[in-house]
Amino acid sequence: MATLNAGTVLTPEERLARRRLILRDAASLLTLFLITVVIFLLTLLLYRSFQNHRQVLGLRWKGRGEAALRAGNSIQAIDALRSALAYLPDDRQTEIDLAMALAQAGKTVEATAYFNTLLESAPGDGTINLELARLAAKRGNERLAVQRYHAALDGTWEGNGYDRRREVRLELARYLLSRKEYTSARTQLLIAASNAPEDPSIKDEIAGLLEQAQDPTDALGLYRTVAARRDAPLAAFEGAGRSAFNLGLYRVVNAYLTRALGHPGATALPPPETAGDQYMLKTASHILLLFPALDLAPRSRAERILYIRKVARLRLSACAASNSSAAPKVAPIVGRWDQLPADLTLSQLEQQPDLENSILQLAWDTETATAQICGQPGGDDALLLRIAQNPEAVEQE
Amino acid sequence: MPDLPTQTTSAPGKAGDRPPTAGIIAPNLAAVAEALSEPAERSPLSATIDRIAPTRDERLFLVLSIFIGVISGLLVVAFRIAIEWIRLLTLGSAPHPGQLRLLFVPGIAGLVVASLVIWFFPAARGSGVNQTKAALYVYDGYISFRTVIGKFLTSAIALGSGHSLGPEDPSLQIGAGVASIIARNLRLSRRRLRMFAPIGAAAGLAAAFNAPISAILFVIEEVIGSWSAAVLGSLVLAAISSVVVVRGFMGTEPIFRIPSITVRDPRELLAYAVLGLFGGLLAPVFSATLGFLRPRLRALPRWTLFAQPAIAGLMVGAIGYFGFPQVMGVGYDVIDQALHGQFVWQLLIALTFLKLLATTVSFSSGTPGGMFAPTLFIGAMLGGAVGAFEQHFFPHLTGTVGAYSLVGMGVLFAGFLRVPLTSVFMVLEISGNYSIIIPVILANTIAFLISRSLQPVGIFETFTHQDGLDLPSMEAMREESVLHIEDAVQPIGVPIVRDSDTIQSVSEIMARDHATASLVHLSDGSWYALSSEELASATATLTPEAPVQRALKSDRTPSLFPDLPLDSALHSFPRWPVLPVLNRASRGTLEGVLTLNDVLRCYRGGD
Repeated sequence: MATLNAGTVLTPEERLARRRLILRDAASLLTLFLITVVIFLLTLLLYRSFQNHRQVLGLRWKGRGEAALRAGNSIQAIDALRSALAYLPDDRQTEIDLAMALAQAGKTVEATAYFNTLLESAPGDGTINLELARLAAKRGNERLAVQRYHAALDGTWEGNGYDRRREVRLELARYLLSRKEYTSARTQLLIAASNAPEDPSIKDEIAGLLEQAQDPTDALGLYRTVAARRDAPLAAFEGAGRSAFNLGLYRVVNAYLTRALGHPGATALPPPETAGDQYMLKTASHILLLFPALDLAPRSRAERILYIRKVARLRLSACAASNSSAAPKVAPIVGRWDQLPADLTLSQLEQQPDLENSILQLAWDTETATAQICGQPGGDDALLLRIAQNPEAVEQE
Repeated sequence: MPDLPTQTTSAPGKAGDRPPTAGIIAPNLAAVAEALSEPAERSPLSATIDRIAPTRDERLFLVLSIFIGVISGLLVVAFRIAIEWIRLLTLGSAPHPGQLRLLFVPGIAGLVVASLVIWFFPAARGSGVNQTKAALYVYDGYISFRTVIGKFLTSAIALGSGHSLGPEDPSLQIGAGVASIIARNLRLSRRRLRMFAPIGAAAGLAAAFNAPISAILFVIEEVIGSWSAAVLGSLVLAAISSVVVVRGFMGTEPIFRIPSITVRDPRELLAYAVLGLFGGLLAPVFSATLGFLRPRLRALPRWTLFAQPAIAGLMVGAIGYFGFPQVMGVGYDVIDQALHGQFVWQLLIALTFLKLLATTVSFSSGTPGGMFAPTLFIGAMLGGAVGAFEQHFFPHLTGTVGAYSLVGMGVLFAGFLRVPLTSVFMVLEISGNYSIIIPVILANTIAFLISRSLQPVGIFETFTHQDGLDLPSMEAMREESVLHIEDAVQPIGVPIVRDSDTIQSVSEIMARDHATASLVHLSDGSWYALSSEELASATATLTPEAPVQRALKSDRTPSLFPDLPLDSALHSFPRWPVLPVLNRASRGTLEGVLTLNDVLRCYRGGD
């Protein structure tokens, strides 16, 4: 705007010119303002239409990418999700999906880099840490994988974090099992078991993993709690029977596998699984028929002990005669048998409980030693060998 | 609309749309920057305005700076949207290798752009930075409306269709053009008019980068060449206004999404220094390639000018078609991906060199577009590659690949565009992260020094020479050594008297020493250089016993100090035969004296 100069005396013509200049400048600035408004409105129109179009494109590509990811077409998913991100640059879920697609496509290095970048902005994100753990596991970096799994467990989760953390823990346990880290896996599984909800399928799953982690005792405990439910699933009976079988708890095996095979769902089991259950049940039944349980009548118990004595001695003789090198090895066992009375009647045995125990102990030692020297036995010897592994467990409930 | 400025150089428009035929030789840039305070030839209308409204120009200057900023910001937003729309329409929403249109669209667009440039918008060709400098130094700030339209249109088509160039340089020129048009319509003085081009340039660049400080620094570093209080206020107003507008539309987020970056271990600076080294080596390669190819393509027969952008487009399209569509177009999204470590180092290296190739052919072919975005792109890829490579072999390094990409952008900016200050502030401004400053300064400085030693002539200066212009080199200007008074000062060889001494005694001293002048030290601490003529005149009118003080006129010799520029003494010589040079700490103490001969001898290098 033209500005007056108070210190200058102007002629009338100059004053007129000054007024004209003021008006002209005002008109120019007004025109400029109007032009600015027009340009602003045009730009706004252009911008809004463009933004809407970008939004539409972004959502379209995102949908395509997610669909491709679900369908396992990871390469298509990568292209689509990258395109989506060009239009929705701050869409975190799309970023995570893209990184997952990269991982799914085997682009481990790129996926790791992508996830690491995402992790920078959210170091405590459970999903990202889990994906990084999986990628580290894929690359064989066990230390980093375990570290990331733990970060995922400690991280934040959208939705039901309680369930997601349990899933991560079970995944970690599976990973540790695959690396034969049974102790660490068992620790994770026991934590998972202690926090598990009253959901039979979850408890069954954890118990199954405990079995793999060579912890049949805890597995059996978990199966039993599930099997105690009114609507107990078949898997719980099977698992309990299987775990009990591994622990030598044949009375328990008998109880659970009988229920399992009588379960309505048993008909739908795959034949090998049914056969396995039947084998375990049959073996347990035979063992219980063979085992001289303390609650048997004295006569029956003595009969079983004499039978066991006979079977064990035959096994020892056969083993000693099988090859020249076996005889010296079994000699100490033979010597122990020689120290016992050669001829025993049922009545004599009933009167001497200590002798019963000595015979049984020697029978168990015989079966164990001959199995080591002459190989795995068959028939009743095989059953006796099973009992020998944990005789006290046979009758436990 | 006022008439075009009439002056000795050819006026564009009518004139500016054809290659300039006249240039200027080594202009006094400081004088140009300070032109606002310097009297110059005025038209009768300007003289009248000066008389009736002497502060009009100054006030309009500031008000118009805001308008320029706002309109530039709006146009840059529209420009960016136009590029994106054209990209969607021509290359589709998701360009992928193997799509035939990737191969042909840039070529066809090149043909269209070439036709538009040759037939309608000849001034749209070339570097916007240099054209803005030409407007400032040659054409009195004149940039035609047709040039603005042409730059907008042709650059949008070229960039949208995949040519490997950037939108910042055209934005800068659009801003400069807007400023020129507005200033001309307000009938501002030629001095003011001249300064509007860089102000608009700052607004355009600030809007393009969404980074006002970098834009202001760039204009000062590369266009104006010196800090000037007269234009700084307007530059700031325009840049801020344009950025406010852009942020109103695009949001306050920086142009790139920057990952969190920290430098934990000072030893990592070595890794960044290595990046600076690589950047310093790559920048001259980029400059030399452009400097080699561009003049050769321009020297080809005129009919090939139609084909050159088309062939360049085909080459760029082929790179995209056969596997690397990332090099096509502006590439901000690709830089963003590199900053987030989404590429493996082998791909980063490939993109570095393919982008360099694509940009060289695109720019050399005369396709309108700028070098800023490609420079950032190449720098980001190079940085990412070096960072990823270093991390592969030195896994203890904690810096992310994104951090190296970010520093790499600044490195190539410093090495290739030769604007070290802008490069540092640009990285800071777009990252919003102060902790990256030490690696940035270190790497940028190394890159700048290596690049300058390998390729002494900067890229803008190279383009200037190739265009037949003789615009000032800002880099050379910064290197210029300025002479100071201390370089010419001589021991005291004239008599020194007090103002209470009598005229007779002073005459005797001067006669004894055969001196043509003496320095009179006045009781108030000031000095007066008394010439023998003045003394003779006083002797004729005053008594011999009168104190010499009565022979002195009312003025006093200026206070000069050894650290002042030598030219600051020049204007005093018609009045004073000799000048005392004082000590700043003790004004009464003389460091020496200066005569006109001493100054001239120093300028001649004979000191």
